[in-house]
Amino acid sequence: MELLRKTRSVCPVCLQNVPAELRRTAEGRVLLQKSCPEHGAFSCAVWQGKADFGAWSAGSAPLPAGAGETCPAGCGLCPQHETDTCCVVLEVTRRCNLRCRYCFADGGAQTPDVPLETLKAAAADIAARCGGPLLQLSGGEPTLRDDLPELVRAAKAAGCSYVQLNTNGLRLAREPAYAAALAEAGLDIVFLQFDGTKNEIYQALRGAALLEEKLEAIRVCAALGLGVTLVPTVVRGVNDDDLGALVDLAKSLLPGVRGIHFQPVSFFGRFPAGAENSERYTLDALMWDLSRQAGIPMEAFLPSRCDHPLCGFHAAFLLEADGSLQPLSGGARAPGRCSARENREYVARRWRGGPATSPPEEGTSDFDRFLYRVRHESLTLSSMAFQDAENLNIERLHRCSLHVYDAGRLKPFCAHYLSPISQAE
Amino acid sequence: MSEEKTLKCARCGETLVLRQVRFSYMNRSFGHEVPTCPKCGRPYISRALAEGKMAEVEVMLEDK
Repeated sequence: MELLRKTRSVCPVCLQNVPAELRRTAEGRVLLQKSCPEHGAFSCAVWQGKADFGAWSAGSAPLPAGAGETCPAGCGLCPQHETDTCCVVLEVTRRCNLRCRYCFADGGAQTPDVPLETLKAAAADIAARCGGPLLQLSGGEPTLRDDLPELVRAAKAAGCSYVQLNTNGLRLAREPAYAAALAEAGLDIVFLQFDGTKNEIYQALRGAALLEEKLEAIRVCAALGLGVTLVPTVVRGVNDDDLGALVDLAKSLLPGVRGIHFQPVSFFGRFPAGAENSERYTLDALMWDLSRQAGIPMEAFLPSRCDHPLCGFHAAFLLEADGSLQPLSGGARAPGRCSARENREYVARRWRGGPATSPPEEGTSDFDRFLYRVRHESLTLSSMAFQDAENLNIERLHRCSLHVYDAGRLKPFCAHYLSPISQAE
Repeated sequence: MSEEKTLKCARCGETLVLRQVRFSYMNRSFGHEVPTCPKCGRPYISRALAEGKMAEVEVMLEDK
């Protein structure tokens, strides 16, 4: 096998930092291989050869010599970290009204909530340290807090540029007045857990038939001008054949739905034992399936330029009269890297909602018509491929712009939620 | 617009008139009426247009 890159990772059993290598097989698959002195050798597919790995990861650089040898133990942003903060995750509760098969946060504990004043102080600290970030309120299920609108208002007042709610949407569907209070407080984006177009999918992943309530949550948010991003956890054998149907559904729900943010399943927090071997889904496999099922050319998908290219893709489209999606920017790949601030403004442009307006009259400027179409007829497809203890590549971790606020520390998302997952082969 | 109607072309001295002009950016083309010299055809792009709608369209077309 061809050696592509030397990097660092962790032992998936004891989480000790170990050297690792990315190696390409003759078939074009890329494996992350590593060995722990105590627990043996491990190999995990990080690319299935559905796209050119070298071209996709061209905007990345190897870890400098000696770097990353202590990560992620004791992690908090340090001088080795390469990227500023785009988005900060703030956990506002551990409680949850679902018990999902997969949960990165392993939510559902009946521990008392952190006092509102503590969260307000955290939001103010985040705003001051991160230059007006996008703040994601997460959990647990954050809408179990009655005082969430007050926290949204305080976060905006403290200087968080945008506030995003990471939610299963059940309370938004059941209590429109609660959703209205969040909108009135300044909530910008609803990140709605939305795994697919069939109830069997929700039954498999969430333990309940939730589709109708999810659709109701979208209707409630759309009526309030809250932009909704659908966030499916994609699990091989469960919903990887539903991607095209999900895109079609999203098209029918514009402009309330602004995008779909695909999250290939990762194995941290809570997940079924042994699932990592059969259900792992790489970024290129996701793009390939999405391309085939939704009729989108692979070239439309662009690698992340803020985070590491292997951490995600994005593509913005206009919906044409014939139902096809045409790339908004011509699929052009911009050179170099973009800053965390540029990344934040991009996602806010793509994901925020707004009041519905009437189409411009005939004979008016093309600028007006185009801006109307972008607001009402555009859809953004994106993905974030989280890392777990099997596929953790510390080169990627160093480029992370999604940070979790943990008792005053800012930690890369995949470092914060990292948990041991398997036994040696 | 009444203010723009009094504009004169710096090169020709002609009073500008509103004409449909095509703007191209990133493989897309947009028609928009702007004051234009009837003699040499040079359009006048006001600051408000450049920093307003045109900038808005540009940023929507650009990738991050």
